[in-house]
Amino acid sequence: MTLLSGPPHVVTAGVDLLREALEAQAVPTTPVDWRPPLPGTAGALARVLADPRRRAANERAVDRLTSSRPLLVGVRRASELLHLPQPMFLHAGPPLDWERASGPMRGALVGAMLLEGYAIDEEDARARLESGVVRLEPCHHHRTVGPMAGVVSPSMWMFEVRDDVHGGVAYCSLNEGLGRVLRYGAYGPEVLDRLGWMDHVLGPVLSAAVELAGPIDLRALAAQALQMGDELHNRNRAATSLLLRELAPYVVNAAPGHAAEVLRFVGGNDHFFLNAAMAAAKVSADAARDVPGSSLVVAMARNGTDFGVQVSGLGERWFTGPAGVPDGLYLGAYGPADANPDIGDSTITETAGLGGFAMAAAPAIVRFVGGEVADAVAATRSMYEITLAEHPAYQIPALGFRGTPVGIDVTLVARTGLLPVVNTGIAGRVAGTGQVGAGLVSPPVEAFTSALLALAESALDPFDQ
Amino acid sequence: MSPAAGEAAVVVRAGVYHDSVTLMRVSRALSDLPGMDVALVAMATELNLAMARDLGFDPPPAGPADLLVALRGRDVAAAERELDRLLAAVSSARGPSGSSAYGMAGAEGPAPRTTRSAAARAGEDAGVALISLPGEHVLPEAVDAIEAGLDVMIFSDGVPVRQEVLLKRLAAERGVLVMGPDCGTAVIAGVGLGFANVLRPGPVGVVAASGTGAQQVTSLLDLAGAGVSHVLGVGGRDLSREVGGLSAVRALRLLDEDPATELVVLVSKPPDPEVARAVQEVVESLRTPVVSALTGRDDLTEAAERALRALGAPVPGWPSWPAPARRPPRPGAVRGLYAGGTLCAEAAAIAGGAPAVAEGKEFVDFGDDAYTRGRAHPLIDPALRLDALARVGPDEVALLDVVLGHGADPDPAASLAPAVARCPAAAVVVALVGTEGDPQDLHRQAAAFREAGASVFVSNAQAARYARDLR
Amino acid sequence: MTVGTRPRRPHVHATGAASTAVRPLLDAPRRAARVLAAFPAGAYLQVRTDREPSVIALLAPGATRLPNAVLLAGEPPRLTVGDDASVGDGAVRLGRLRLRASRWWDPAPPLGAADPAGLREAAAGLTPGEPALAGEPAVELLASGCASGRLLDVLTAAERLVGLGPGLTPSGDDVLAGLMVTLRLLGAATGAGRAVWLADWLAATVTYDARARTTPLSATLLHCAALGQASPEVAAVLRALAGRGPLEPALRRLHGLGHTSGSDLAQGIAIGVRSVLSCRPSRRSFPSRECA
Repeated sequence: MTLLSGPPHVVTAGVDLLREALEAQAVPTTPVDWRPPLPGTAGALARVLADPRRRAANERAVDRLTSSRPLLVGVRRASELLHLPQPMFLHAGPPLDWERASGPMRGALVGAMLLEGYAIDEEDARARLESGVVRLEPCHHHRTVGPMAGVVSPSMWMFEVRDDVHGGVAYCSLNEGLGRVLRYGAYGPEVLDRLGWMDHVLGPVLSAAVELAGPIDLRALAAQALQMGDELHNRNRAATSLLLRELAPYVVNAAPGHAAEVLRFVGGNDHFFLNAAMAAAKVSADAARDVPGSSLVVAMARNGTDFGVQVSGLGERWFTGPAGVPDGLYLGAYGPADANPDIGDSTITETAGLGGFAMAAAPAIVRFVGGEVADAVAATRSMYEITLAEHPAYQIPALGFRGTPVGIDVTLVARTGLLPVVNTGIAGRVAGTGQVGAGLVSPPVEAFTSALLALAESALDPFDQ
Repeated sequence: MSPAAGEAAVVVRAGVYHDSVTLMRVSRALSDLPGMDVALVAMATELNLAMARDLGFDPPPAGPADLLVALRGRDVAAAERELDRLLAAVSSARGPSGSSAYGMAGAEGPAPRTTRSAAARAGEDAGVALISLPGEHVLPEAVDAIEAGLDVMIFSDGVPVRQEVLLKRLAAERGVLVMGPDCGTAVIAGVGLGFANVLRPGPVGVVAASGTGAQQVTSLLDLAGAGVSHVLGVGGRDLSREVGGLSAVRALRLLDEDPATELVVLVSKPPDPEVARAVQEVVESLRTPVVSALTGRDDLTEAAERALRALGAPVPGWPSWPAPARRPPRPGAVRGLYAGGTLCAEAAAIAGGAPAVAEGKEFVDFGDDAYTRGRAHPLIDPALRLDALARVGPDEVALLDVVLGHGADPDPAASLAPAVARCPAAAVVVALVGTEGDPQDLHRQAAAFREAGASVFVSNAQAARYARDLR
Repeated sequence: MTVGTRPRRPHVHATGAASTAVRPLLDAPRRAARVLAAFPAGAYLQVRTDREPSVIALLAPGATRLPNAVLLAGEPPRLTVGDDASVGDGAVRLGRLRLRASRWWDPAPPLGAADPAGLREAAAGLTPGEPALAGEPAVELLASGCASGRLLDVLTAAERLVGLGPGLTPSGDDVLAGLMVTLRLLGAATGAGRAVWLADWLAATVTYDARARTTPLSATLLHCAALGQASPEVAAVLRALAGRGPLEPALRRLHGLGHTSGSDLAQGIAIGVRSVLSCRPSRRSFPSRECA
């Protein structure tokens, strides 16, 4: 319909009186529930939105994010895949040093020192870490993601995920299970024993099985799992089962002697698929990096102290704010006082349109977001307000198979004040405690406002052309 | 400041947003409650926080996205209950809106928070976006609308000219029209957007760089029985050198293509000469005849008359109800108290005063940015003009416009006519701009001002001449 | 709404978007009216007058906009057949309700000039739908008469079709309405004066005794159609045929109207288009040019 061909349907933003005047004329309206943008962002928003590159850049970036096709192509040792000069560890979130590291992060680093034999005991490990001789770098700087503390050390086995469309590759460690585990900062003997078993049995067996199976389409698995009640961050039960179904015959073929214990371990860990989903999300998000002028978020990650985001048009720069304490349900006698601030790279799932953004797909875990299925649906629906696209493969049955909201746009976050909905596990604040709960966390506003201000600084002036 | 009698309360409701006109109406309703001394309900901008402090309140820290409520009177709790009721009514009228962190989950989901989202929600039905946000917040919503393929009317003023140019260039690329900014009028196939009169459909299309100018011309055409196809308000700066007539040219072409439009009237301030040449070239290339009305050079009434002659329609005598002066005024002492900028300029040109923004000058445009910052347009909020009417000298003639139509005060005579009656001026002359179809009822309004002792004219030019010539 | 309630309680003010077809009724001095039909999406009011239009449709937004409609801005009032009302002095009054027009719309929007060659091309997309009178001899006679320009056949067929079929808007009337609007508007748009001339004859024939031969609503709609006034759904199809927009979605919306109303109107449109195309275009005064 062209402008003058008949009475228009009007989208209204602003003075309600003018919308009322239209209603009195029997004109259909769709009002915008407008609010002022985040404080101090109005000028930056105008500059970023005026950047002549923005629209095409965002289209290209989000298209690369949603068109990527992550395949699980291997399971290999970190030392083979990553350049990790001794002694160096990767960790979750934006850059961090020992001094600012939180309890669970310190615990995980200590555990890794012990696991790799870089220290003779806990005290020795702490001393060495404190002295600064151990290099610490974010996983994200090495095409890697890690859940919770996300500590990666050379002997750990990693999922190797390749993007069949854009050619990228990403890695994530193997999931240890729940309870007292390294990623939650526990490093007791049973933690190290399990890691040892993973090193000697689980890793090699999975590696051989995946090689026999050939590439496994993680995008297809995730898409099916969403229709089976997973959101691929706090619920991975369906996806884990699907992966197990794919791999089981090859596990038996590859290592008949260990097959039972490997399958039992994987089958007993509802979150086993999470790490594969994270690598898949990472390789997709990385495909969207480095598009000049794009305001698309390509990484959200927390190190237990800071919450950081990276933006496609701003390269490797991190924009951070203090990590919040999640609001959620606690295990046993634990309570909010025991919780560590938000930690982990698992927010890469939200970055790629899963997790909190797909809450409406996972009615089984709605208690994390307020208790009602309607809350989960509202959470997902609100994320369409800050995302650039709907995922072509990841669909939500309860929303009429609408694609999940995907591709967070910094400008939309600033305009609406709606922050990404993040589902997360909650780590105990004391090193070695492990998981104390799970729930929802709000990212810090300043991470997004500072990213927006940086975009404004680098924006092209439309009048300079 | 010493605390006044009665209870007082000042609270901030974080994250509750309503537009300034809605809050003005709410404040007024609360002030009218029995025993209420002060009721200030406003967004917690610096300006409003300062106002609360001036009123003797001590507001807690808050920002422009928070709602500030300052109440003083006999029963503050009752006022707060009434406030809740009024705000709930506003929200429910506006459709589902967020009470929880992510908004309520109705069938449609939470209310859209951006124009982009609202346009997607409206789907292929959506045709026009009407944006009336504070000027500094217009660009993102307008960009959304253009990118969604919607035509846009920017009711707001205070949009930087660079942003206006940018938006109009984007619109040209996308093949849509940007109306405004700083143009309160558009009528699309009879639908009034912003301030607009109820017009009968017909053959005249209007392109206007002036809102009230267009309202005057179209109201006169309607009174003469000639209909209007569309009114496209292109913004007060559109024909300036910076903007270069980007929207005027597009609007002229649209009307030329429109089968309902047989004659185009172009209402503008005298444009930049270079822009005028470019626009003239476009005008000459059109199949549809164009009548130009350059305010300051031609008066708007003459423009309407020329349009009628071009249609072959008779020019009627414009309704007027002159009244004698209460006492002879000082010759030429006309004080113009206007809501419409173009009407003000036209009256000033005729009645002799220099149009000026600064208070104390002879002609004041209360619709100018300088008066509308932080408050509603005088077509909605009469407060400033009520004050000004009380201060007209006893040997002066007060000349004011009253503009009817959608969006304007539902009963301007209710507040202005008593002020006219009390006005100390030697005479009061009202230019009543509106049609017989307008919701305020043109004839009832005219009668109210006549009863208050004013002379009433539907033609602003005639009103100005009458005021000038009063002895 | 109860009949004869004393207006002690204050008026309830309502507004709506009114077709200019009913402006004469609203602008005239107040006249009595009664509710002719009431349904969830609105009501029809019959005004006590000898002249047409005499029926006003009060419709909720989203209902089919008849050319004699006032589209209500809010919920339609709850009415009962036979309720008293009045129309005139600028308003419709129904008990406490006082309804005024807050905007006006033109039920006969000009189509502008259209190119017959383009019309011929566009007409190929006029899919028939499922008209109630498919195969009816009077319709066939109407079609052949229009195509060949035999006025007697056309008027004979029209006589037979007025009021033919069940319901408030009999199918025969819908076919005639679609035909008259098409002949008048597309005829004017393509310069086919003979088509407009045919529309004039049809108009005179069907409106002459429509009030005696069909329902009051349908009589008003025939009167509107005789003047080229139609629902926006019909106007949108004509606009598309004149090359001002896509035909398929407009036609889809038209076919969706009523039980068979949309298809019946479309049938009339198709007959009208063939008639317009058979006329040699000329802008001379008619009836000077010939039809094929």
